[in-house]
Amino acid sequence: MQPASELTGRRRVPVGSRLAFVGSALLAVTAIMANGSSAQVPSSPSAVDREWWSPGDGRKVPEWLEYENAYGRLGVLNADGPLDTAGHPFFEPIGANGRACVSCHQPSDGMSLSLETIRERWRVTGGRDPIFAAIDGKNCPNLPQGDPASHSLLLERGLFRIPLPWPPRAADGTPIEPEFTIEVVRDPGGCNLDPVYGLASANPTISVYRRPRPVANLKYVVQQKFGVSPFVGKTGEPAMRDPETGRPLNMNMMADARLATLRSQAVEAGLTHLQMVERLSEDQLERIEAFERQIYVAQVLRHGAGSLVEPDGAKAFGPRNLLLGEEGVLGNNTTRWVFPMGDVWRAPAPGDSPEQIAMRESIRRGQEVFHFRTFWIRDSMHLNTVGLGNPTKRTCATCHGMHMTGMDSANGWMDIGTTNLPWARETPRNPWTDERELMPLFRITCKDGVPPHPYLGRVFYTQDPGRALISGRCNDVGTIVMQQFRGLAARAPYFSNGSAASLSELIDFYDRRYNIGFTERERTDLLNFLSSL
Amino acid sequence: MRTFSLAALSVALAAAQAAQASEQNLAFISCPIVRDTSSVPCWLSEFRGQLYYLGIQTDVSADFNPPSLGHKVLVEGTVAAGAEEICGGLVLDPVKVSVLPELAPECNTLLMAEDRYELPFEAPRPPGPSAGRLAFTPPPPPPLPEAPFPERTFVVAYDFDGTVTFQSPRFLTPALDYARHVRARRIEITGYRAAVALSTGEVVAERERLGTIRAEQVARLLQGAGLTEPEYIVRGVDRPQTGTPELRRVEIRIIPGE
Repeated sequence: MQPASELTGRRRVPVGSRLAFVGSALLAVTAIMANGSSAQVPSSPSAVDREWWSPGDGRKVPEWLEYENAYGRLGVLNADGPLDTAGHPFFEPIGANGRACVSCHQPSDGMSLSLETIRERWRVTGGRDPIFAAIDGKNCPNLPQGDPASHSLLLERGLFRIPLPWPPRAADGTPIEPEFTIEVVRDPGGCNLDPVYGLASANPTISVYRRPRPVANLKYVVQQKFGVSPFVGKTGEPAMRDPETGRPLNMNMMADARLATLRSQAVEAGLTHLQMVERLSEDQLERIEAFERQIYVAQVLRHGAGSLVEPDGAKAFGPRNLLLGEEGVLGNNTTRWVFPMGDVWRAPAPGDSPEQIAMRESIRRGQEVFHFRTFWIRDSMHLNTVGLGNPTKRTCATCHGMHMTGMDSANGWMDIGTTNLPWARETPRNPWTDERELMPLFRITCKDGVPPHPYLGRVFYTQDPGRALISGRCNDVGTIVMQQFRGLAARAPYFSNGSAASLSELIDFYDRRYNIGFTERERTDLLNFLSSL
Repeated sequence: MRTFSLAALSVALAAAQAAQASEQNLAFISCPIVRDTSSVPCWLSEFRGQLYYLGIQTDVSADFNPPSLGHKVLVEGTVAAGAEEICGGLVLDPVKVSVLPELAPECNTLLMAEDRYELPFEAPRPPGPSAGRLAFTPPPPPPLPEAPFPERTFVVAYDFDGTVTFQSPRFLTPALDYARHVRARRIEITGYRAAVALSTGEVVAERERLGTIRAEQVARLLQGAGLTEPEYIVRGVDRPQTGTPELRRVEIRIIPGE
């Protein structure tokens, strides 16, 4: 297991020196064990240059970028060619707090923002980088600025504050009568009980804390080909509709699916995260959307395995294959796998080193674990309730079924226990430590007259009610829209609440949650596979 | 769910007699049991010492919605003369299974696979990734009619005590499409609450006001899907009628525009 704090930094790698770097990277990795299946994390590179993209620095985004990370290198494809960021609304500090979109969507971090980068920005700027802005870069705006304790959720878990109105409001602003009551049980951040910002304030608000999602490979995220219909396929509720066309939308973009178009998300992010005084203009929205749609991100080199993007290589890997892949396809095991590898690496290629052969075999086995290792999936809302039964004997690829990204093909909020107790990560108090849980905790009580939550009953606890803060539905509590599996190596921690600090912890969560019983080799192979995506 | 007592005794007795007379039809509440196989698991339930086969795990496209451990199920099915056994259970066909909402932690039996309980057919969808499609493909919808448009009634079916689920869109979408096509001027929605005569002689009714709740929910769903122009007339029939699963329904009557 490799804690996030030990993961190495990254540096931009000039494409011209790529081959030379491959050699040095291969030398840097730890030796592969005899069975060829060790999960490798290299030692830190000596030179660390994160190439932080500051708002308004006027650089050009070339067509191709590569960044080193702990597991190899990430590729960033700017598919429409070089872009001048001067004056571009994605890169300029167009709000009041000095942030730009790029502040939290850094190319080196897979267009998300890793905890490692956040901590480095704290160290380099003394906590004055705009990402630590009071509005959501602190646990609550009224806490002392610059005190690490005020920013603990960002510095410990990589989480930004998301304030949401309670009760929820419909698109027209009218309150939705929720099916449950919510009480604040624990509020280490201090915002939910705050008289100005909290649940009992003049504008009742619930603050939850979430990770920024990657702004890349978005044709898959907002696809309109599969699982998009007037009614959400998992709940029967009406799908959100495009305000311009009236057509139903895919709702797989945000953690709580509260917005479904790139434009509406940009507008909200501008007004909240960037603290813009006025709404983004149509011209700005067009430019932001165009840029977001042309960015593809994936790992291009895996330490030990070497290049992931060789000619005639596996279609599963690399940003160019994401550009060429078909969006909105339910992955299968015959023609369009979720992550297709074909026969690549089934047999060693001439010149491959024993270490390379072993790592490639491990990655290949990890892909097979992902697709074919069955286990019992139980008590997961909006998965076990949609015609599969509870429990259902399936695989990782059951839920993570979208071709090329591993997202859900249908509107995909579900509760696997990342935020709902008893499965969510919690630090039980005990007499021998002063450690306290970071996350808020809410007690949910489903009202009389509505059915209890099918797996958690009428009263239960959650760190983040997820979709239910938008829908008001009891059985939506703790449901979160799943994310894409791309650029994972570059953007720890994982899950919407950052509760898995590393890919090892992510795999541990599933193993524990579903009693999978991964062997050590399966666990290692899966990690090697995931870190190659 | 509400159990009838004295007031409904006569109804219950009559229903019980009917059930006895038609001994092929069964209705019972019991724990579901899942039995693994080398392919997909199958679902069973026991009543009066007899194990019954309900169906197998497939996917979202199947009519059969498998049960849930942790909840009891209401099973409404028919045992054919000379019915075969699958997974060690006597086959109920047709069968309707409703997961009851209240938690029942005592329902927690998962039987491991045994060679003698292999499925006698190939599962439409294996436990791994799909074969490129869902397990079942619904027939294409009939072509929409040309003017003059008739009034049409669409029916939404429900599990016992159920409201909207993942299966509701298959009923709602045709109604939505037709209403749009004919530029409906009025939509009349009637929701029904029902009851079931169990094979034990007991009669169980769905929760209070469920007919109204269903009707109001369907109206909200159609409006939420953008069908806001027509006039809506929404009503619930909350006195439960006892009988088959088809009684648990909402009727959507669509009156075309001029």
